[in-house]
Amino acid sequence: MKTAFLLLAVAAGALAGCGPARPPSPPAGSSIRLSATLDDPTDVTLRWSGVDPHAAGSAVEFTSDPPGEFAVLQFVPPEQTTFDHRDLMPQTGFCYRLRPYFGPASTIVDVALPPGDFDENAHAKDPDWAAPRAASGAAQRTSIRQPGRPTAGAPTGLRAGIADPNGIVFTWADHATDEEGFLLEAAPAGRPFRVVAVLDPNVTRFGLVTLPEEKHAAYRVRAHYYGASSPLATIHTGG
Amino acid sequence: MFPDQEVDVRTRLRVLAGSAVALTLLAVASPPAFAEVEPGGWTSYSPSFKTQQKGCGSIDNLTFKLTCSNSSGEQRAERRYDTYSSGTRQFEGYFKITSMSGKRISLKQTFKTTGPFFLLAVERGGRLYAVEDGDTVATGATVGTSVRVNTVHVVGDELRVYINGSLKYTLDSPSGSFYDKFGAYRTASGQGPITVQWSGIKFWHK
Repeated sequence: MKTAFLLLAVAAGALAGCGPARPPSPPAGSSIRLSATLDDPTDVTLRWSGVDPHAAGSAVEFTSDPPGEFAVLQFVPPEQTTFDHRDLMPQTGFCYRLRPYFGPASTIVDVALPPGDFDENAHAKDPDWAAPRAASGAAQRTSIRQPGRPTAGAPTGLRAGIADPNGIVFTWADHATDEEGFLLEAAPAGRPFRVVAVLDPNVTRFGLVTLPEEKHAAYRVRAHYYGASSPLATIHTGG
Repeated sequence: MFPDQEVDVRTRLRVLAGSAVALTLLAVASPPAFAEVEPGGWTSYSPSFKTQQKGCGSIDNLTFKLTCSNSSGEQRAERRYDTYSSGTRQFEGYFKITSMSGKRISLKQTFKTTGPFFLLAVERGGRLYAVEDGDTVATGATVGTSVRVNTVHVVGDELRVYINGSLKYTLDSPSGSFYDKFGAYRTASGQGPITVQWSGIKFWHK
């Protein structure tokens, strides 16, 4: 009997889909209010409020098939409260969520790359130079989720080694015991910081191939974790 | 059969019958929960594939790597799916680039048996572009984040490419025979290394 009900519940969940017929369930601990508005049959605007002011930013994510895989649409800074999702698949259900992220960042390093275009032979002898690497080390570590201690566990010793005119190798010391990963953030001259790489926990070395506008940029690395995500905002496109 | 067992069986049968009725009603009341795009009528299927590893290409389940920076020669790590010649075909998959120091690497192809048709490639910095005409398809393929790709191919009419749910590229399609590929492949002007993980691979047709 229990098996029959379980199968029914599973089937019901599978049939629920990602559309207006599926009411969002607010996750515990989330104060975020997220709405999705259909501006025309295939254009959606997301609006939100209530993000924890201590969040370093948020990931705007979507899926058409919960509880399946979510894709990140954009990492947004704390002051951003809207996102436009345009030219969408017609007659399709979309589920959105906002996931704020927290965690301490390293000090900032400024990098000025020498002139020169991308050189395809620059690393012929070390093709793996950019691969993320985790170093086993004896660095002192602590939790990055301690209330009232926003800088605890911050990465230290961030260094930017110029690998070539369009490549930088970043290294840092990991002092976090409970990060969900590291975010490498870049601010080209005159622009705000944005996430340029999402790295696994314990990574302490990563190579970045830069864009032309990143000849002069500031960088930092953040040990991060996600807070409670918003309730799902669901919409069904027309068209 | 003993009386108690008969009652137990009857009870189980009633529960199962009730569940079946409820399930049927639920199926009628709720929209289908498929992740495919565009209006329905799709049938899920699982085409066969062969793996292709050339040069410094390597495949470990759904992780595809080019481990060298060679800018010549065939450097390939892909799955090549069965050929199709008619109807409308949809592909869905998520890719995540975990490391890339190369440039101009094809991640997903809809290939005509007589030659290239649509190749989706990634440039350094995360720009996705169509190899044949160089047009930008989307930006933001950030290292470490999942990007969803849907392609809808109406043979003899049109190919539509959706990135993260948004229509980003369309291409007129001739008739003929085609096949899907994904993985990592050095384009004529590209090179590795790259490590890309694919997931959530699905196919539909109608």
